[in-house]
Amino acid sequence: MKANWKFFFLAALVILVVFPFAYLLLLSMASEWRFPELWPAYFGMRNWEQVVSSETGLISSFLVSTGISFSVATMSTFIGFFISRGIAYHPYKRTITLLTYFPYILAPVVFAACLSYFFLKLGLFGKPVGVFVAQFMVAFPYALIFFSSFWGEKTKSYEELVATLGGNQLQAFRKVLLPIAKNMLIICFFQTFLISWFEYGLTSIIGVGKVQTLTIKVFLFIKESNFYYGALSCCLLILPPVLLLYINKRYVFNKLI
Amino acid sequence: MTISEPLSLKNKASNIGFIFFGLIGILPFVAAFVYALLYSFGLVGAANSGFTTEFWISTWQSGAFIKSLVYSTVVAGTSIFISVSIALWLTLKFRKELEHPILAFAMYLPLAIPGIVAAFFTFQLLAKAGFFSRIAYAFGWITEARQFPDLVNDPYAIGIIATFISIVTPFLLLLFLNVYKNERVDELAQLSQSLGANKQQTVWRVSLPVVLNKTWTLIGLYFIFLLGAYEVPLILGQESPQMLSVLIIREIKQYDLSRLSEGYVVAVIYTVIVTTAAVLLFSRKNDVKHEG
Amino acid sequence: MFLEVQHIVKSFQKEEVVKDLNFTLAAHQTLSILGQSGCGKTTMLKIIGGLVKPDGGHIYLNGNLIDDVTPEKRSIVYLYQEDLLFPHLNVFENIAFGLKIKKINASETTDRVHQMIASLELQGQEKKMPHQLSGGQRQRVSFGRAIITNPALLLLDEPFGSLDTGTRARMQDLFKKIASEFRITSLFVTHDLKEAILMGDHIGYMQSGKLKVYENKEAFIQDDHTGVQKEIDFWKALTN
Repeated sequence: MKANWKFFFLAALVILVVFPFAYLLLLSMASEWRFPELWPAYFGMRNWEQVVSSETGLISSFLVSTGISFSVATMSTFIGFFISRGIAYHPYKRTITLLTYFPYILAPVVFAACLSYFFLKLGLFGKPVGVFVAQFMVAFPYALIFFSSFWGEKTKSYEELVATLGGNQLQAFRKVLLPIAKNMLIICFFQTFLISWFEYGLTSIIGVGKVQTLTIKVFLFIKESNFYYGALSCCLLILPPVLLLYINKRYVFNKLI
Repeated sequence: MTISEPLSLKNKASNIGFIFFGLIGILPFVAAFVYALLYSFGLVGAANSGFTTEFWISTWQSGAFIKSLVYSTVVAGTSIFISVSIALWLTLKFRKELEHPILAFAMYLPLAIPGIVAAFFTFQLLAKAGFFSRIAYAFGWITEARQFPDLVNDPYAIGIIATFISIVTPFLLLLFLNVYKNERVDELAQLSQSLGANKQQTVWRVSLPVVLNKTWTLIGLYFIFLLGAYEVPLILGQESPQMLSVLIIREIKQYDLSRLSEGYVVAVIYTVIVTTAAVLLFSRKNDVKHEG
Repeated sequence: MFLEVQHIVKSFQKEEVVKDLNFTLAAHQTLSILGQSGCGKTTMLKIIGGLVKPDGGHIYLNGNLIDDVTPEKRSIVYLYQEDLLFPHLNVFENIAFGLKIKKINASETTDRVHQMIASLELQGQEKKMPHQLSGGQRQRVSFGRAIITNPALLLLDEPFGSLDTGTRARMQDLFKKIASEFRITSLFVTHDLKEAILMGDHIGYMQSGKLKVYENKEAFIQDDHTGVQKEIDFWKALTN
């Protein structure tokens, strides 16, 4: 019966979606899981207890990632908001918007490789600040594109309206534009946070292994074939996005154009 | 008639904004490109000694770049094609069911998984000593790990393509569902049927064209993203050929300084390709809003 | 004269949108301007409001040259055709906006807003959000917001264009009542013939960037360009 197959198919789809999370969680709590066993020899909290220890460095990585991503998100969102206004109101809006897409499309890792010479010269190589700057340069175009749909004839009219009612630019922003943009600001914040949070290639090049974000840690564990800690770091990596999804899935969905 | 002029273009704040945009949004990328260009011609770089086209020639001759380009294009293209097909099929078949809260939430879950985690997970499942291999063993289909087929680090990029599909399909599904609702394809389909078309014709002549028309730019964008992907092919790819970004980084980060420039040659070509693609994609996009 | 507009011209990309605008308006009077779309009336209003810079000419308000005065300091309010209420503020806060900008104290603000709400016949709607109001109600809030700051000049750009006939008639009555109650000086632009005749103390006709203000309503009716005579003939023919 048609209704039945649809139900089973969708149920299977849900299981398919949840499976990676379950598997990674399982793997993170496992140890000595050798071929051909279908179930690990050890299953418990031992790995997770190591998270707080300085040996794995996972807590510090988590904090480094959080710090960098939070800064990147804050700066990109607010600076992007104001500058996208200048672009949207500019007579050459189309050309400039085209230019904005270009950094967004270029693979961050290639960009980082070509830019490392300059980072070295500026003393930003291998430092969290350097990683922050590099990630900002990648998240900023995204914010510009994101807010480009906000500014238009309507916002221009609001600004003019506030002017004729006696308000200056600052009041227009504080009393009208920022409140209206509130939802978009929040969404952009979380989107740029995730762009930075998930970043690996660029971080590995500019950070040169010295700035150990969570993604770097995942890769290190994979290289060492330490799959249990690898899964653990994956779980830590996925934790914030899943929480965000639970609170409001809009924060994570990317509505580009 | 409403021709409006920006109020504060002459504002000092606007000018500062532009300088900032130029500094952060444009300058670094121009600088990176120029540096790569200069390096590729031997004009900068520790082991280089002046203008030369030898690196461009040797890159061309070695064929590594061409192979990588073709390989990347095929992998990215296949992944996009399959993802779009699956997402479209799910959209058309399950549109109503997907509004159910549990399913709606489940659709967003994959977005929480980044490339590197997806690659790691795929590796865990498809590797020779991985999960599927153990299941095969349990069913008696193989007796040793070695007998399990090469699904990762393999010439057919099976692992890479599977991972790409698992990452891109959820995004596309959400996008198509969104577009379907906004463009009121439901109503268009009903209209089409009232004009005499059957279900099949409606799908191919109305529903699909409307959805694809609105989304082809984004699909093109995803193709470009996959083309330049790094983490996934890094973990799941093989020695040769490699996808473009992996090739570039490997060449640039290698110890043989005299061969470094070849990496920058590929970087320059890749940038030109991406820029051209961006220009083509977005200059065709109609983003002018007409006021009634 | 309270408002003096002298030789204002404006072109956009080689197209002359406003050609040699000259007229005057006494205080507490309404000048209604009849014009079709594309005749340059919006641009003219925006120039007077300071939102667009003219290519030449001068504007005097109450004897002062205001060419270089920024819009927020001109005390001239420009009202759009669509109501453009602030979506995140309710009726009360929308109307109070101009007063809050001027940092008027809370109790005076409350008094004045309530007075205005009464004049606008919007009692009971204070806490409603814009999307909960009808078109006519939104337009009234828009008025209230503009008038409460006692602007020197009010510029209305086809304010009733998007309303249905019944609501439109009611709004026309309301405007006349409020204009006299608050002694407003205003320019009222419309493409509706009847409205132009009803709303203004004086009347003008704008076409292709040129404005002609008539001595009186008879002169306006007799001019062929305005189309009044054609209307009269039309209705006459119907009754015969």
